[in-house]
Amino acid sequence: MTLASYTVRRAALGLVQVLAVVTLVFFLVEALPGDAAVALAGDNPDPARIAQIRAAMGLDRPTLERYAEWLLGLPQLDFGVSLVSGRPVADFLFGGIGPTVALAALTLALLVPISVLVGVLAAVREGSLLDRALTSVSVALHSIPEFALAVVLIAVFGVQLAWLPPTAVGADLFAQPAVLVLPLVVLLARPICSISRLVRAGMVDALASDYVRHARRLGIGETRVRFAHALPNALAPAVQQVARTTDWLLGGVIVVEAVFVIPGLGTVLVDSVAARDLPVVQGLAVVFAVTTVAVNLLADLVAFRLAPRAEVVA
Amino acid sequence: MKRAGIGGLLIAVPLALALLGPLFVPDEQKRGAPFMPQGLLGTDFVGRDAWYQVLAGGQTVVLVALLATVLSYLAGVPYGVLAATTRLRLVDEVLMRPLDVLLAVPSLLVLILVAAIAGPGLAVLVGVVTLVNFPDVARLSRATALEISGRPALEAMRMQGESWWQTSIVYTGRSMLRTLAADVGVRLTSALYLVASASFLGVGVRPDAADWAVMVDRNRGGLFLQPLTVVVPALLIVALSVGLNLVFDRALRKVRT
Repeated sequence: MTLASYTVRRAALGLVQVLAVVTLVFFLVEALPGDAAVALAGDNPDPARIAQIRAAMGLDRPTLERYAEWLLGLPQLDFGVSLVSGRPVADFLFGGIGPTVALAALTLALLVPISVLVGVLAAVREGSLLDRALTSVSVALHSIPEFALAVVLIAVFGVQLAWLPPTAVGADLFAQPAVLVLPLVVLLARPICSISRLVRAGMVDALASDYVRHARRLGIGETRVRFAHALPNALAPAVQQVARTTDWLLGGVIVVEAVFVIPGLGTVLVDSVAARDLPVVQGLAVVFAVTTVAVNLLADLVAFRLAPRAEVVA
Repeated sequence: MKRAGIGGLLIAVPLALALLGPLFVPDEQKRGAPFMPQGLLGTDFVGRDAWYQVLAGGQTVVLVALLATVLSYLAGVPYGVLAATTRLRLVDEVLMRPLDVLLAVPSLLVLILVAAIAGPGLAVLVGVVTLVNFPDVARLSRATALEISGRPALEAMRMQGESWWQTSIVYTGRSMLRTLAADVGVRLTSALYLVASASFLGVGVRPDAADWAVMVDRNRGGLFLQPLTVVVPALLIVALSVGLNLVFDRALRKVRT
């Protein structure tokens, strides 16, 4: 299969996934007892008033018609209107997207070099004290709940030692980089463990392989053997794990934003869930789902480019 | 050996507190002012003794995670085996394709979404964590069963006319055990992660529930006054998670070598 035909097939699958998730989100919310009109009518639900609101919002029309309208609105970034404040949902999304993207991008930018470095360090000295220490720590820290780690770090570095600000309340993320240190450490802890382990395993395999032995016999320098010959082959499995990390990262960002009071998409999500502001929840679900599908698509394409023989269709 | 010692110890403390702790909580509790230095750890955000809250609060986290793991295996293994052993390719596709959609959404988002729609309740929490873990279990069981059903031993059994019970359940089941057992640790820690994170975000639990994750969330306001009311439950969750990882990792190594 060529890269082009693979891309088309994989993109079609991604589109189906997005459509399925979007449909699921719409009908899950639709299945709820009581709709937006009941919520807006508030404490004294007068049937006449509910019917009036329903007509004004177009809720009396058939479900399928509204579904089609909602679906057609999505590509134009029309996600509907918030129940609580009456503002368009898109406003909430644009308001929260800055800090979240900044956090996720910084995490990814730090994650890849650090985990490759740790993995290579452990693999090159396989079996040494350093290797065993790094492996133990990465096994132990894997899948620690972010909020627990975050709170312990805040208590130690934010409160007891007072080296770093404990929360980001009222701070400008970019003017005061110190605010970002603890959130980034917390977000990095989990993915670094899993990716560095994969890099280590791939690197150990690659260093024991025939082509590396051959390259050494040819007299190619050890540094070049390691980084030009072994490393690229060790990276292929790690690429897909980086994509899987985006899943964790989105989950992690929700928690980390809640702990450090960062006004991003995660905070918007938690607030709108607490207020049962379902159009906003719907809109966020769509954004998160599209992002995840897009990242997985990209990772599969990169993995296919790196190792075209392997069938990587999910 | 040393690592298992550390891991075992790390699990033992939170587990003992979680399972035996509720027995030591007195029925009558005095309420004082919030975040005062009374008792072992001080008082919490509504003036309850934080130590008793710690004793009472481990049960839900541990039991919900365990129950959800068991349920996801009970549902996922037959589902995966059915998909693997069916003669019709269409059934396989119909069973497995929807799982791709579930896997395409961040798990914490699924959890928040369903819990937002279904309302609070421990049953909902168990259900959603099961739902999130279920696709992974189903996929793994399908892959394992598929590999086993191609083995010569199974072909021979079929030709001998062994019953469906003997081939599909007894032989396939026994052969799958090892692969599935190797996966239990991952499933359990991820269930623990989800349950704790969801409770922390206030999904599926009452806001004043005696629960370690809820305590961490609610008592954060008093971090400067009574840091122990936050740090102790957080550390218990960290210890449980790290301990589980170390113990299961060691067990895996033992099986492999």
